[in-house]
Amino acid sequence: MHIQIDEISRDFGATAALTPVSLNIPSGALVALLGPSGSGKTTLLRILGGLEYPSSGRVLFDGQDATGLSVQERRAGFVFQSYALFRHMTVFENIAYGLRARPRAQRPPRPEIARRVTKLLELIQLPGIGDRYPSQLSGGQRQRVALARALAIEPRMLLLDEPFGALDARVRKELRQGLRDIHDETGLTTVFVTHDQEEAMELADLVVVMSMGRIEQIGKPTDIRARPATEFVRGFIGA
Amino acid sequence: MSDATNLRAFRAPTDEAPLARWLLIGFAALALAILVFAPLIVIFAEALSKGWSAALSSLNNRDALAAIRLTLLVAAIAVPVNVVFGIAAAWFITRFDFRGKAFLITLIDLPFSVSPVVAGLCIVLLFGANTVIGSWLVAMGFPIVFALPGIVLATIFVTFPFVARELIPVMIEQGRAEEEAALTLGASGWHMFFTVTLPNIRWALLYGVLLCNARAMGEFGAVAVVSGKIRGQTTTMPVMIEMFYNEYLSVAAFSMAALLAFLALVTLLLKTLLEQRHAAGLSASRKSH
Amino acid sequence: MGRPLLYRSPMPGLGLSMGITLTMLSLIVLLPIGALLLQGVSYGAEGIWATVNRERVWQALFLSFRLSLFAAMFNLVLGVILAWVLVRYRFPGRRILDAAVDLPFALPTAVAGIALTALYAPNGAFGALFKDLGWRIAYTQWGILIALIFVGLPFVTRTVQPVIAEIEREVEEASATLGAGRFHTLTRVVWPMLMPAALTGFALSLARAVGEYGSVIFIAGNKPLVTEIAPLLIVIQLEEFSYDGAAAIGIAMLVISFLMLLFINLTQIWSRRRIGYV
Repeated sequence: MHIQIDEISRDFGATAALTPVSLNIPSGALVALLGPSGSGKTTLLRILGGLEYPSSGRVLFDGQDATGLSVQERRAGFVFQSYALFRHMTVFENIAYGLRARPRAQRPPRPEIARRVTKLLELIQLPGIGDRYPSQLSGGQRQRVALARALAIEPRMLLLDEPFGALDARVRKELRQGLRDIHDETGLTTVFVTHDQEEAMELADLVVVMSMGRIEQIGKPTDIRARPATEFVRGFIGA
Repeated sequence: MSDATNLRAFRAPTDEAPLARWLLIGFAALALAILVFAPLIVIFAEALSKGWSAALSSLNNRDALAAIRLTLLVAAIAVPVNVVFGIAAAWFITRFDFRGKAFLITLIDLPFSVSPVVAGLCIVLLFGANTVIGSWLVAMGFPIVFALPGIVLATIFVTFPFVARELIPVMIEQGRAEEEAALTLGASGWHMFFTVTLPNIRWALLYGVLLCNARAMGEFGAVAVVSGKIRGQTTTMPVMIEMFYNEYLSVAAFSMAALLAFLALVTLLLKTLLEQRHAAGLSASRKSH
Repeated sequence: MGRPLLYRSPMPGLGLSMGITLTMLSLIVLLPIGALLLQGVSYGAEGIWATVNRERVWQALFLSFRLSLFAAMFNLVLGVILAWVLVRYRFPGRRILDAAVDLPFALPTAVAGIALTALYAPNGAFGALFKDLGWRIAYTQWGILIALIFVGLPFVTRTVQPVIAEIEREVEEASATLGAGRFHTLTRVVWPMLMPAALTGFALSLARAVGEYGSVIFIAGNKPLVTEIAPLLIVIQLEEFSYDGAAAIGIAMLVISFLMLLFINLTQIWSRRRIGYV
């Protein structure tokens, strides 16, 4: 899905979290929102997911104005920073949640739900952990379950907030490739937030560097590395 | 051999001397024995001073039974009202950002710092037969003071903060992410509430209900003021205890008291179980140490 | 443009939860308290003063406040010791003692009242002991004091316990490595950390005692000028259908409660600034 961000701003009282920003995300792209904390990258992601309202501006999905769409209507697969797995539900129930939450008429029958959950568990390469609870999983497993849960609703896009933030270096590398594979397999427009420039450069097709609620530069990783647009970008990517 | 002696002689620098420790433990135990256990024992001893049958028969009369029924009825109304309010207030306070939040919390806590007698007085002054609203309601055949609605109102007033107070810290600790996740997965508000929020707060909610119920069944000051003490009609168990006691019906008073003391013990038992088994679901200050 | 009154949010249930919260708060708490204040306004400041400014009322207010203060001070000392023993020491029966601390919260006040009276009356188990020493407890101010200690018992323990549990042992170890004896460490290092929570508990215990009715009236004897507490005066005024008089004393008590609430909040702000938690 093609996502357009048109002059979106967001202020918390006197402080502006986002000065008007505009951004064009082509369908099927894998985009990184890169910046230090407080740069507005998470706020922008949450506005895309419908978890926060912009103070002004519009969001367009495939050319249609989606600014007024509710969280539920957006059908964005959202992966939270600390995963936000439902701790009182098994892995299976977590992944099935979105399907079971649908109104009766659109809800797939039981065997169909089971089939889809099993397929997703295979996709994230964790077959057979359906009966476990989130507390019994490692950090990397939790992250993958959160991804599977987001994919289960057949999302129109994938939004990830610091998806590798809480993991150690080795697992992080492994899961980076996992996300790339899932993106290539599903072809979903994917936006992830990170403060790690190496992660952004290695994984994304398009990197959006943000600072203080503004977009500093948009470009391919190689371009940004070769030609940093501002002093901030130069300093941040350590070029 | 010498190692063992050394070990025995070693005392961690953060421990008190054994003598001081046992003196403190002894003092604590003695203080609680005198202040808490002795009154508790006296209740049951006085109730059973003329034997089991005397205790039971003292409760087996129209007035006593009516008091028990009324107390159960009042709690059955007041506790659910409190649950609804507690959940709504905790949701509003922890899931939205607005100005004046601290002030709102102070207002919700207000009934804790108002004397129960003053609480009862407030309700009499609002709905008593001498007031505009009160006299109109009496004319409509729906009296509040000296009737069930007044007792219920007084009970809700004094128990007002109980459930909200247990839920707010827990819901702050748990954060909003799980609920947000449910929403992004397409859940409607109510579906999210019943499948995510409620399971996460259930133990804290139960804890609040326990405390609220104990207070609702045992409230005396506020209820005494609004009840009018009409025998068999507006006397709750605590008010009945006072009437029995003032009529020198000691066995009846203490038998009724023993019922309420038993309820208090059950409440404490369940509360302790919750603190030990489900500490993760309670607010930090409720965890057992 | 200052902060907005309410941030827009996609979280559901704003209208419903706000509606229930504000409606019930207004109907059940604010409206009745408003009725009390309105009665006071219509009675007038002079009337209120005339009601309160009588020896019997002054004595009752003074008695309530003075004995509550003593009870809270006793509970401060006992509560800190109890909290320390319950958190730091392991001994058989600890869990029972820990649960017993909450009994005054769980036991209805009228039940506590008649139990304490039976215990401390001249023919009661403890009362008989004291009678031999020529000391009457029940139906004197001593009886009121014991009842107020009982109802305020849990507050200090319950506010101090979590703070003790959070103290890092390293702080005490550091004190020991610097050469301080155990007693020095406890008084100079540990106590200052506990004090804010202990003061909060003290204030809560005091506030509870000032308004207490049920557990006191049985053991007090209720002799005007000697053992008559302020809440009882309200009940007496109401029984005489003197609503103005009841409202006047009620407002006086409300003012005392508010002052204490203010004190609690100030100690909390002060302690949060000093040590960061409570």
